[in-house]
Amino acid sequence: MTKILQVKDLELSFHTFAGEVKAIRGVNFDLNKGETLAIVGESGSGKSVTTKSIMRLLPESSSEFKNGEILFNGKDLTKLPEQEMQKIRGKDISMIFQDPMTSLNPTMTIGKQVMEPILKHQKVSKAKARKVAIELLAMVGIPNAENRYKMYPHQFSGGQRQRIVIATALACNPQILIADEPTTALDVTIQAQILELMKDIQKKIDTSIIFITHDLGVVANVADRVAVMYGGKIVEIGTVDEIFYNPQHPYTWGLLSSMPSMDVNEEKLYAIPGTPPDLLFPPKGDAFALRSEYALQIDMEEPPPFFQVSETHYAATWLLHPQAPQVEPPAAIIERMRTFPGSRYYEATGGRA
Amino acid sequence: MADVLLEVKNLKQYFNEGKPSEVRAIDDISFSINRGETFGLVGESGCGKSTTGRTIIRLYDATDGEVLFDGVNVQDKKSKSANKEFNRKMQMIFQDPYASLNPRMKVMDIIAEGIDVHGLAKSRKERRDRVIQLLETVGLNREHAERYPHEFSGGQRQRIGIARALAVDPEFIIADEPISALDVSIQAQVVNLLKELQEERGLTYLFIAHDLSMVKYISDRIGVMYFGKLVEMAPAEELYRNPMHAYTKSLLSAIPLPDPRYERTRVRTPYNPKDHQYGAGDTVQFREIAPEHFVLCSDKEFEEMKAAHTQNA
Repeated sequence: MTKILQVKDLELSFHTFAGEVKAIRGVNFDLNKGETLAIVGESGSGKSVTTKSIMRLLPESSSEFKNGEILFNGKDLTKLPEQEMQKIRGKDISMIFQDPMTSLNPTMTIGKQVMEPILKHQKVSKAKARKVAIELLAMVGIPNAENRYKMYPHQFSGGQRQRIVIATALACNPQILIADEPTTALDVTIQAQILELMKDIQKKIDTSIIFITHDLGVVANVADRVAVMYGGKIVEIGTVDEIFYNPQHPYTWGLLSSMPSMDVNEEKLYAIPGTPPDLLFPPKGDAFALRSEYALQIDMEEPPPFFQVSETHYAATWLLHPQAPQVEPPAAIIERMRTFPGSRYYEATGGRA
Repeated sequence: MADVLLEVKNLKQYFNEGKPSEVRAIDDISFSINRGETFGLVGESGCGKSTTGRTIIRLYDATDGEVLFDGVNVQDKKSKSANKEFNRKMQMIFQDPYASLNPRMKVMDIIAEGIDVHGLAKSRKERRDRVIQLLETVGLNREHAERYPHEFSGGQRQRIGIARALAVDPEFIIADEPISALDVSIQAQVVNLLKELQEERGLTYLFIAHDLSMVKYISDRIGVMYFGKLVEMAPAEELYRNPMHAYTKSLLSAIPLPDPRYERTRVRTPYNPKDHQYGAGDTVQFREIAPEHFVLCSDKEFEEMKAAHTQNA
């Protein structure tokens, strides 16, 4: 597997009137070619900021890289001048935003918007670009693309607009596609169509996808690997099966338990108590400790390092330290672990295989 | 027989009636909600679920049909005081906790607005005590009363919205997508709060949403809407175990579950209204295929579904 993107020890702060907000506090991950990495976490966990810093879309006046690097094709994106960055944005790395209602320009025809990155990054004639744009629109499933090419965004439905945004993002066959909650604003049926489209396209052009979402159902559907973020850090990272069937971090347990399951009838839904930490004053130890019933004394004092669970699975929780007491995860999590070979609750017969 | 609190009979809500741009947002729907239960209404955007909620609480005047609340027609002209009394009994929680709170009012005044309108507090002290009590009921505390909405997170704002709805001691609450704008972990908190309040105060809910897994969790019965029509209605468990209408099946098959192994094999069944192939002579109407389980279907489909249902059960 070739690593296409490496994020190393990334730290980023925003300068606000209230003081320095440490939005990202040491993030490490690699993105492999052709894979989909999902980043999950709640609002304010730093998932969007991480990807926006890869694209360098954060205002330079108020944000500052404190430490670390983002390596892409041997270049450190955190240090690249803006002009160089413009050559990468929309060509090698492109982005799909959450709200298809606002990410298209209402005064431009959709054809023009799809053509824009082609004309900017490739030396082609307008006629050729137009042809490519129509092909792209047809590929993402806009019926009658030749005629609809001249229409404006308001003449399309939400799902269709998101398809157009995807076509624009794909215009230059990017190596990395960053999708920031691309289906959150859409209905379940339309969401399913867009997810199918993205998976389909990934197979066709072999691009890597970073998928940001807080919907664990969507993660289970699209991701190869998952990174769970909390309080500006990645707290657990692993393959999709490892995260869903053998989670180690109490925050991941909480996230998985707070989704109502379709089969079981729980009396009360598990809810993670409290609210996310204030990153103006980041907690000293484990950021999740204050909301966690599994917190140890050391969680209040020192941030946990990453403990290796398997070759691909890491979690930052003191519970994995050899000296930590054995704790019992919530019942719903044990239920999941029973089906995962390699977990301590695995039952060869109990699994659904 | 269950105690019916709200009855919707052949409700129609057309916008731009008679013009070429006529929109039939609600096209002849009927259902009833019993006292103390939660009725879930699901469907995709534009299917008329929010319009239904808004017509029930009289934010719109219905084109046709009746909404009976405690036996009284909501749409009838009433005296001012009767109207006021009705407004007190029925309250609404809105989708967007950012847009539904006035940014220039303190939380104290936002919550107390209903108390003032209905004259429920006799003195300033009583007003204050009530607001503080409400804040504590929804899991906030007394210091929050003197703050403005922008000082709160989305989940906290939704709690303020709930406190405001509770301030006038309503019997019936319409919750229009109250959790769609919130994070997963916060969604669970708000849903638990709504359930607790229901048990404590015997509230009745109309819960409108497109997130089917949450709806199933909170509702006793669920109605599925498609293009202004109710296509299926059944107890929550029954609807998920035995969906009968093709649209319900398609909707259920589209939900991604937090289970990668299941996701790898999940097959989505798209819905095409043409598949019904209703002929000219078919009467398509809402029929009971099993106790409490209604489906919009033709005579032929009715027989088929009844057979299929007995097999499944």
